[in-house]
Amino acid sequence: MSGEPPEAVVEMEAASVGAADGVGRPLVRGVDWVVRAGEAWVLAGPMNAGKSALLETVAGLRVLAGGVLRVMGQGWEGLKGDALLALRRRVGLVFEGRGRVFPGLTVFENVALPLCYHANAALPEVASEVEEWLAEAGLSRWGGEPAGRLNPAWARRVALTRALVLRPDLLLLDDPLAGLDASHVRWWQDYLERLRGGHPRLGGRGLTLAMTASTPAAMPAWGDHARCAVMDQGQWREVGGLRDLASSKQPWLAAMETRG
Amino acid sequence: MNAAPTSTANPGAAAPEAENSGATVGGHGWVRWMARVPWLGTGIDTARQVGAFTLIALGTLVTQRRHATRVIGPLVQAQVDRAGVRVLPIICFLGVAIGGLIVSQTTLLLVQVGQGGLVGSLLATVVVRELAPLTAALVVLARVGTATVAELGMARAMGEVEALEALGIDPVHYLVVPRLVGMSASIVCLTAYLVLTSLGAGYVVAFVRGLTMTPMDFAGSVAGALSWVDFPLLALKTAGFGVLTSMIICFHGLARPLRMEEVGEATTRTVAHTVVACVLLDGLFVPVYMAL
Repeated sequence: MSGEPPEAVVEMEAASVGAADGVGRPLVRGVDWVVRAGEAWVLAGPMNAGKSALLETVAGLRVLAGGVLRVMGQGWEGLKGDALLALRRRVGLVFEGRGRVFPGLTVFENVALPLCYHANAALPEVASEVEEWLAEAGLSRWGGEPAGRLNPAWARRVALTRALVLRPDLLLLDDPLAGLDASHVRWWQDYLERLRGGHPRLGGRGLTLAMTASTPAAMPAWGDHARCAVMDQGQWREVGGLRDLASSKQPWLAAMETRG
Repeated sequence: MNAAPTSTANPGAAAPEAENSGATVGGHGWVRWMARVPWLGTGIDTARQVGAFTLIALGTLVTQRRHATRVIGPLVQAQVDRAGVRVLPIICFLGVAIGGLIVSQTTLLLVQVGQGGLVGSLLATVVVRELAPLTAALVVLARVGTATVAELGMARAMGEVEALEALGIDPVHYLVVPRLVGMSASIVCLTAYLVLTSLGAGYVVAFVRGLTMTPMDFAGSVAGALSWVDFPLLALKTAGFGVLTSMIICFHGLARPLRMEEVGEATTRTVAHTVVACVLLDGLFVPVYMAL
């Protein structure tokens, strides 16, 4: 059975991604995208190309403007109650910028919240697990700080950790490397590589990753295993491996490099 | 299969912008006729949206009552502390002021017509049936309502609602239910304190004004004005005020993302809508009291 491809985690067929309220012109059309278990994808393209909207659609937070979307073999349409909850827990999403951390909660509470909510547990019951996750992300010293006081780079790590504590099968990251200094970028590269390769805290199974990047500087230094698609001017195009991106002569990429 | 809206319960979905939709009221007969008046149409439309939002919140309260109780419970406690315990001093002050003022204004008149013994009955009727529930609801609105609208509006603007959904947390369960339960419970309890303090202050002022009544006579006068039905009615009315107040506050907070400059307008609108809604609900109880 070794010839069988891994299970499809995300399947989009002729999909169009629309605005948050589901009205207006689609931001991207004709998305044919299949993400298989264990793959790492980079969705590259300029700002406002619809990359965030695509991730939010896959995460079930936006209405699909057209076409077909299946996540872990299920459409979001009509899912309710426990089935909806189960699928949501299998898909982690790290928002761009500060990661939409809850500014009024401490870093510890941000990370503990999903655990407590789904396990109906009090904070002390999940404290050791949360502490371990915080230590992984280098956030232990900020545990008692309100998340609103952290700088964006650290807040984004809180958002990543908050998404990981639910042990998702698919992790979507919206421009995670944008605006970070070299040390933070290095940490993210290493950590995402460990997650993809099978992190012990996730039971050793490799996490399926899909991240966006809007500038060449925000591209991960992943090897040949990473796959890449470009979104520009409402169009979707797969370019093969990440290394093929440079030779694909993308106008927006050329413009970026010229400016840089 | 086509993807569809999947929100666990998106508050924004039940609470679209009501402000600019005066002409969207459907319905039949007198409702449609009244909707032709611009501000009335907007009012009816908003009422329908708040009604739908309230049904969603109450449905979530019932269906998720056993879910995540160790997360939601502390949030309810925090709301009771904020809308109840911290409001208690001003409620006690108002109770003393209302009881004292009513008695001081009416004692002389009652004595002149030889009915000084009815001062307790008069005070009980006015305070228990009308003033206490309305005052408690409006004080909670003023004390925490406006802050809550700003808080929820900013949370919506910062994308926290979507962040909750992405974590599988129902935003209505996490953001609205604690406020619904906490504010409603607070208004019920604050009404009781308001009644007690105003009756106590009323007796003291009556005594000072020269009405020679023993505390037992005063209590008898109070009890004579009320029947057992007053108590369930009081509970129902205060709970109704609590639900209305908290739902209008949450609706205006979550209806749309608020920019800083929009917060003032949203809070003003919340206050106006809540006052009108509470007075209208109060009016529904008048025929019931008249039938007693």
